Amino acid sequence: MLNRTLGCLFALLLGLSGVVMAEGTDGAQYIEDKGCVGCHGKDGNAMLMGAPKLGGQKAGYIVKSLMDYKNGARNNAIMSGFATALSEEEMEAIAKYFEEQPSTLTVPKH
Amino acid sequence: MYLLPLGLTGRGRSDKVSLQIFTGESNVQNISKFIWSIAVILGCIAGSASAEGDPTAGKQKNAICQGCHGIKDFKMAYPKVYPVPKIGGQNVDYLVSALKAYRDGDRANETMHAIAADLSDQDIEDLAAYYSAVQ
Repeated sequence: MLNRTLGCLFALLLGLSGVVMAEGTDGAQYIEDKGCVGCHGKDGNAMLMGAPKLGGQKAGYIVKSLMDYKNGARNNAIMSGFATALSEEEMEAIAKYFEEQPSTLTVPKH
Repeated sequence: MYLLPLGLTGRGRSDKVSLQIFTGESNVQNISKFIWSIAVILGCIAGSASAEGDPTAGKQKNAICQGCHGIKDFKMAYPKVYPVPKIGGQNVDYLVSALKAYRDGDRANETMHAIAADLSDQDIEDLAAYYSAVQ
């Protein structure tokens, strides 16, 4: 009985840590695997002036932008290609990752 | 076309290069046209240089932008709920290309298209200069 309880607890902990690890690493991995870093930089603070800074940007806005590129509402030869290759889950992981990076973006009040 | 300095031809005498754009006009007229050509070319160059944005002018044009982009965590409700982007400190070239894409229809967003439709290239440069520099 004790063994079974411990076994269950162990399995539960293993499962939980798996979830936590997946959330922590996916976005960081995707931005390298999917080619985002080439223009937007590893922390989303773009290396190229024509590309937007994404560090600290709203995740919901990044997801919407990627969806718009994918479905054609935003017409951009470069981004359409990248976004078409992404699932919605991947978009959300990427957006969450960029939102959590250090940011120089502001909401000016005047 | 008088724009190109092709009037610098040595037509006629081989010992004298005359400023001829059209034959049959006096050299004085031709020189005057040539000077105008140079002035027009210089004007074009100056015109493209002045397309650089003026942040002070941009600040005076941004009242309508502030309604959404000046409010922390402001959200749009259509076509689905999503937060408007932070644009303060954004890269200037990106801001210019975004506004032009909204204006010219490469970015489908009814609100931003309606706002950007009234903007000239200079307005866009000014707004981009302001927002890229603002803290």
